[in-house]
Amino acid sequence: MSFAERMLHIDRRIIFLVIGLCTLIPLLYPVGLAIKISPEVKSVYDYIESLPDGSVFLLSLDFDPASKPELYPQAVALLHHAFKKNLRVIGMTLWLPGTGMASEVISRVAREEGKVSGKDYVFLGWSPGASSVIITMGQDLYKAFPTDYNNQPTAELPVLKGVQSLRDVNYVVSLAAGSTGIETWYVFGKDKYKFELGGGCTGVIAPGLYPLLRSGQINGLIGGLRGAAEYEVLIGKKGTAVAGMDAQSATHFAIILLVILCNVFYFLIRTSGKTAGQN
Amino acid sequence: MTLLRRQLPLLITFVTGILFAAQYYIPHPASELMLTSVSKWLQIIAGFALILGVTSLFHIHAVKIRRKEPGWGYSFVLYAGMLGTIVIGLWHGGKETTDGVTTAFGWIYTFMMVPLQGTMFAILAFFIASAAYRSFRARSREAAVLLIAAVIVMMGRVPLGEHLIPISGDITQWILNVLNASVRRAILIGISLGAVALSLKIIFGVERAYLGGGKE
Amino acid sequence: MKTAWALTILLICCAPTAWTVQAEETVSPPQQLRVFDTPNDSGGSLTVTWAQTDQESKNLRYQILLKDPAATEPKVIAEFASDTYYVRDAKAPWWTRPAPKNMHQFTIKSGKGIDLKDGTSYAVTVASVAGEQRTSAAPVQAKPEPNWFNWNQINNLAIVMIFGFVVLGSIQAAKRREIFLRRIPGLDAVDEAIGRATELGKPILYLTGAGDMSEPSTVAAAVILGRVAKRVAAYETDLMVPHRDPIVMAVCQEITKQSYLEAGKPDVFKEDSNFFITTDQFSYTAAVDGIMLRKKPAANFFMGSYFAESLLLTETGASTGAIQIAGTDSDHQMPFFVTTCDYTLIGEELYAASAYLSREPVQVGTLRGQDIGKACILVALGVGTVLATASVLLHVDLSLALDLVKDWK
Repeated sequence: MSFAERMLHIDRRIIFLVIGLCTLIPLLYPVGLAIKISPEVKSVYDYIESLPDGSVFLLSLDFDPASKPELYPQAVALLHHAFKKNLRVIGMTLWLPGTGMASEVISRVAREEGKVSGKDYVFLGWSPGASSVIITMGQDLYKAFPTDYNNQPTAELPVLKGVQSLRDVNYVVSLAAGSTGIETWYVFGKDKYKFELGGGCTGVIAPGLYPLLRSGQINGLIGGLRGAAEYEVLIGKKGTAVAGMDAQSATHFAIILLVILCNVFYFLIRTSGKTAGQN
Repeated sequence: MTLLRRQLPLLITFVTGILFAAQYYIPHPASELMLTSVSKWLQIIAGFALILGVTSLFHIHAVKIRRKEPGWGYSFVLYAGMLGTIVIGLWHGGKETTDGVTTAFGWIYTFMMVPLQGTMFAILAFFIASAAYRSFRARSREAAVLLIAAVIVMMGRVPLGEHLIPISGDITQWILNVLNASVRRAILIGISLGAVALSLKIIFGVERAYLGGGKE
Repeated sequence: MKTAWALTILLICCAPTAWTVQAEETVSPPQQLRVFDTPNDSGGSLTVTWAQTDQESKNLRYQILLKDPAATEPKVIAEFASDTYYVRDAKAPWWTRPAPKNMHQFTIKSGKGIDLKDGTSYAVTVASVAGEQRTSAAPVQAKPEPNWFNWNQINNLAIVMIFGFVVLGSIQAAKRREIFLRRIPGLDAVDEAIGRATELGKPILYLTGAGDMSEPSTVAAAVILGRVAKRVAAYETDLMVPHRDPIVMAVCQEITKQSYLEAGKPDVFKEDSNFFITTDQFSYTAAVDGIMLRKKPAANFFMGSYFAESLLLTETGASTGAIQIAGTDSDHQMPFFVTTCDYTLIGEELYAASAYLSREPVQVGTLRGQDIGKACILVALGVGTVLATASVLLHVDLSLALDLVKDWK
C-alpha cells in the first residue's frame, strides 16, 4: 500500500485526536480574535434595543440538554439584554426535557441582574401540545398556563399585568433545536396573532431558516455558537460563546486541512493509477 | 372484521382529514377550539400508546435476560435506570428543585441526563471530521464546486477565517442568503407538493398501506 | 402726512399677520369614514377606512378614537402621522381590499389595553390634528364579529383543489397508459442491499426516523418498509426495525406482518422484528449504534425525518461496512446522508419511492400530478421574475400585474 493509500485509510481515532486537541488547546490558551457582527443577529439586537421599558418579551427555550452548548449561551445573552432593558420577561419551553435547564438559566440570569420572580419575570414551564399550546396562548395565556412553574397563579402576577394573550406580547424569540421550533411559532403564532418573531437555532438548522428570514417571517436569526458570540459582543458581555469561537476556529481549520489532504492523496492515487495504466 | 380493520379507519381518516383541512380556512373561534380539543385527544392517545412502547421494551429485555444473550447484564441496568427514575420522579412530583434545593430527580437530570445528552451531541464534531476526511473528495466537477463552497463557508463562519481572508465572511453571507436560501426554497416547494399529494391520497383512501396491508 | 405714513407703516406691519391669518387653513375632518367588522378574522377587531386629503403633511396627524358602550367619553387609542397607514400597506390580497389603495386604513384589535367584545357595538371616529386644531368626523357604530370563512385564503383553497383534480386526472391517465419514471438509483439498490445481506447471512436494519405518523415522511417510510419487508420475507433474511414512537411501531408491526403474509412466509415473521427503544433522541441513537456494532447488519435503511442523530447513525453504520440507503425530507440533514450513505433519496424522492417500487398506476399517476404542479409553480416563478425585472429595467409600472401574481401564492 502506498503512503497516499495508507493515509486515505488512516485510523479514525487519529482524526478524533486531532479534533480533540484543536478543541481543547484554544479553550486552555484563548486567542480572542475579533468577531464580525452579521445583519441577521443585529436585527434581533436592534429590535430588543428599540423596545421601551416595561415591554413584554417572551423567550421560548425550545431545546433539550443536547443542544445546550449552542443555545444556552444565546439564552444567557438574550436574557441579560432583556433584563438590562427592563423588559418584562416571560420564559417558557415547548420541549419537556429542556424544562429544568430553562428554569435554571432564567432564574440564574435574573439573580445576576437583580430581578425578582413574579415582578420582573416569570417562568411558565412546559405544557403538552406544542402547536395547541401556542394557539391557546394566542387566545388566552392564562388558560394555557393557569400557574407558573412554581405553582403560582399566573393571573395574579404583576409581571403579566395587561397581558391577556400573545397579542399583548411585544416580541417573541424562539430558541429552537429542531421541531417543535421557530416554524411552529410562525405558523401557529405570528401568522394568527401578529406579534413580532425572532429566532435562535443550532448551526446545522440555521441555513434552512434563511427563507423565513429573507421573506420577513422572522425579523432576525441567531445561528449557532457563532450567533451567540456575536450577541455577547453586541451586549458587551463576553461569555462561553466568545470563548468557544477560538476552539471553533481551530476545529474548522483542522477539518479544512484534513479535506485538502484527503484530496491531495486522492489525486496522487488517481494520477499514479493513470500512469500505471498508460505504462 | 373488514369493517373494523379497513372501512371504519378509512371513514374516520376521510372525515377528520376533510374536517381539519377545512379548519385552516375557518378563522372562527369554534374552529380553533376544535383544533385544540383534538390536539389534546392526540396527546392522551400518545400517552396510552407509550404503554405499548414500554411493554415492548420490557419484553425485549426480559427475553434477553432469560436467554442470557450477549450484553444481557445491560438489560438489568436498563430496568434499574427506568424504574428508579420513574419512582424518584413521582416521589418529587417531577420537580428538579424544591424551595431552591435540588431534589434527587433534579440530581439525576443535572448530573446524568444533561452531561450524557451533551456528550452524544459533542461526538458529532468528531464524526463530522472523520466523515469529511472519508467522503469530501472532488470526484467530479460538481463535487469540486461543493468542496470549494464548503471550505469558503467553513472559513467565513469563524473569526480566524475572517481575520485571514476578510472577504470570506461576505462571500459566506452571500452563499447563505442567496444560493442557500433559493435552493432550500426549491426543495421546500417540492417536499410540500409531495406532502400535499400524499395527504390527499391518505384522506381519500388511495394510500392504505399505513393500515397494515396492501390491496384488498 | 405723518398720520398717513404711520398708517401705511402700520398696514405693512400688519399685512404679514393678515396673510398669516389667511394662510393658516382650518383643518377639515376626515372624509368618507367607514368603520366595519374586520373581515376574515376570528373576531375582536374593527377596521377603519377614510379618504386621503390634500392637507396631509408632516404637521397633520390622525387620531383614532374608540368609545366603549359603558364609557361616557371616547378615548384616543392610536395617533400617527398623516402619511402612514394606507390600504396598500395592509397585508391583504387584492380581492379582499376594503377600499382603494390610496385610502387610509387602520385595524383596531383586541390587546394592548383594548378589549373588543364580539357582538358589542362600539363608536369609532377619526380626528385630524394639526397643532392646536382638532376636528373629527361623525362617529360610526360597528360590531366586531368572528367570520366563518377566510376569503384571504381562497387562492390557497383554489390551488389545493386544482392540484387535487390534477392528481386525480393523472391517476386516471396512468390507468390507461404507462407513464415514464426516471431512474432513482437509491431504490434500484434496495434489491442489491437485501441480496447482499442474504448472501452474508447478516440482518437488515431499517429505521423509520424521528417523526410520528402525522408526518408524511414517516408514512412514506412505513410504506417503503412494507415493500422491503415483502422482499426480505422472500429471502428469509432477518429484519430489525427499532422505533422511537410507539404508534409508529404498532403501525409498522401490522405492515410487516401483512407483507410476510403476502410473500407467503407468515411462519418466518417475528413479532420482535419491530421493537420500541425510547422516544429520546440520543438515547435512541446510542441504542441503535450499539445494535449496529453488535449485530453488524449488512444493509442499513434510514427512511423518514432525522435531526442531529443522522450523522451519528450513518457514520457508525459506515464503520461496520454496511451498505446504506437513506431517504429523508429533512433538508438540514441531507448533506450528512449524502456524504456517508451509498445512496440517498432526496426530499420528494422518498414520497415517490412507493410508486417507484410498486409501479401501481395510482401511485405513478400521483407522481405525475405532482410534476404538473411543480411545472405550474415554475411558470409562475418565471412570469413573476420577468415582470419584476422588466418593471425595474424598463421603468414601467407593472404594479397591477405584479400584485396579481404576488397575492396568488
